[in-house]
Amino acid sequence: MAVDETLHYRAPVWSRLRGQLAGYGFLSPWLIGFFALTFGPAVSSLYLSLTDYSLMSSPRWVGAGNYVQIAQVDPRFRAAMNVTFTYVLLSVPLKLIFALAIAVLLNKGLKGLNWFRAIFYLPSLIGGPVAIAVLWRQVFASDGIINQVLMSVFGYEGPSWIANPDTAIYTLVALAVWQFGSSMIIFLAGLRQIPQDMYEAASIDGASRTRQFFKITLPLLTPVIFFNAVILTIDAFKAFTPAFVISDGSGGPIDSTLFYTLYLYQEAFMNFRFGYASALAWVLVAIIAGFTALSFFSAKYWVHYDD
Amino acid sequence: MTDATATLSPMEAATQPKGLTRAFAYAALLAMSFVMLYPLLWMISSSFKPENQIFSTGSLIPETFTADAYRRGWNGLSVSFGWMFLNSLVISVLAVVGNLISCSMAAYAFTRLQFKGRKFWFALMLGTMMLPQHAVLIPQYLMFLNFGWVNTILPLVVPKFLAIDAFFIFLMVQFFRGIPRELDEAALMDGAGPLRIFFRIILPLSTPVLATAAVFSFIWTWDDFFAPLIYLNDIEKYTAQLGLRTFVDATAQSDWGALLAMSTLTVLPIFLLFVMFQRLLIEGVATTGMKR
Repeated sequence: MAVDETLHYRAPVWSRLRGQLAGYGFLSPWLIGFFALTFGPAVSSLYLSLTDYSLMSSPRWVGAGNYVQIAQVDPRFRAAMNVTFTYVLLSVPLKLIFALAIAVLLNKGLKGLNWFRAIFYLPSLIGGPVAIAVLWRQVFASDGIINQVLMSVFGYEGPSWIANPDTAIYTLVALAVWQFGSSMIIFLAGLRQIPQDMYEAASIDGASRTRQFFKITLPLLTPVIFFNAVILTIDAFKAFTPAFVISDGSGGPIDSTLFYTLYLYQEAFMNFRFGYASALAWVLVAIIAGFTALSFFSAKYWVHYDD
Repeated sequence: MTDATATLSPMEAATQPKGLTRAFAYAALLAMSFVMLYPLLWMISSSFKPENQIFSTGSLIPETFTADAYRRGWNGLSVSFGWMFLNSLVISVLAVVGNLISCSMAAYAFTRLQFKGRKFWFALMLGTMMLPQHAVLIPQYLMFLNFGWVNTILPLVVPKFLAIDAFFIFLMVQFFRGIPRELDEAALMDGAGPLRIFFRIILPLSTPVLATAAVFSFIWTWDDFFAPLIYLNDIEKYTAQLGLRTFVDATAQSDWGALLAMSTLTVLPIFLLFVMFQRLLIEGVATTGMKR
């Protein structure tokens, strides 16, 4: 009987231990990844950002030196900020407006919804691989599609939009706007959540379509607009490939397409200034975090949550 | 609402005839579809035109149909594009396998297993989704350099086996939560352990989410340009994206036909996946807010 008793005593301990083992066993790939690829490197890049390091010698401590240089002296940082903010502040609202307008149009119960939805989604699914940047380079080239249309319709001889530092950035904004599809799908899903009887009640009260849009659709959709805006903003800050391909990795002409991430790439992997590039990376993290925090703070004032 | 009607202008109050609105909406959508698709269609059609006809006409239908640009492009670099497509395929398939295994394991631990620190790790996992990869990029690179992994596919593939794409964990967590717990409990009564429950119950019931994760992770890896750019140096190791970018430099825009032909080919796999899994992809975006 003593044997039975010990078994009885041991079983729960063993099963509890087994539970822990199973939990950590299944979690282990992620745990290893977390420490080796995220936590460790994050700490290490914070340290590197306070040093001067170029693979040639060991890191040399410079304290806040890199950050001071970024904030006060670096003209290319300023150029990159200019380009990136222009891009974010133009492409995000335009993309939101397009996505919302098309979603509202598609939500009218038209036939062929699935076809249109698929067609509009395709460009954003294809995303920003090199092929699309190559294509875009052609579309806005001096003998490209845009200029052909301008020539045949208005008889206007357009410039090379990509070679011109004043217009190059707008070709990239246009590319971003062309890819509004996934935001549109999220809006469509949001529009379906709005109860139909609200519109019925409103039209019985004589509210016009326009009024219904501004008084019902838009307020009820603010959580979705908020979500899309935050995600699009973060993505826009991280944009890289189109600018790289359009400018052959230079960010030109005259730094007019020098996206922040492109500048970071150049500093790290062309100039091998790993310390400085790490500092640039953390500045980007801070900017993105700041923007996100600001969005969440502002949400109180314009996002409508029904509770 | 009474006050709302009072302020309506006559214009607003007049309800438009339904047929006209409808016609207008269709016209707008059709025009929009054309604008959206034109660049892609132009790319495909130009790749089948003789070089001298690409810019002479904006027409989408080639007057003379030739696949010559494909032949020129395919062998346009010192390494055939076929080889680079194979590299891309290997990396993308391994990424899919890695993501499916590691992310489903983590999601299973987070939703179904009881262990100390579960909530803590889950919160950290959500936190990593917010952290831009630039913050960890340089030390990761230096680490892989130390391992002697630079110029191999390991830095592109191994992280996927370590659940680096936390987004997919999140996606699977959402799905696993919807699987009734009674199923695990019944299996537990029958003496099944965590491993058995994972393989016999959770995974078989999760094919929709596994398929969504697989398709997206294939497309994202196929499209990826940044990581291969940093880690792969030799042209024999290039992915299709890197090859295409090198081709842009090499042709210096003198052979647009070949460039557009190879561009079309690199987009083709994504297009095929889109045609096959359109529903799955669109639902994936609609329900999770997945981006791209």
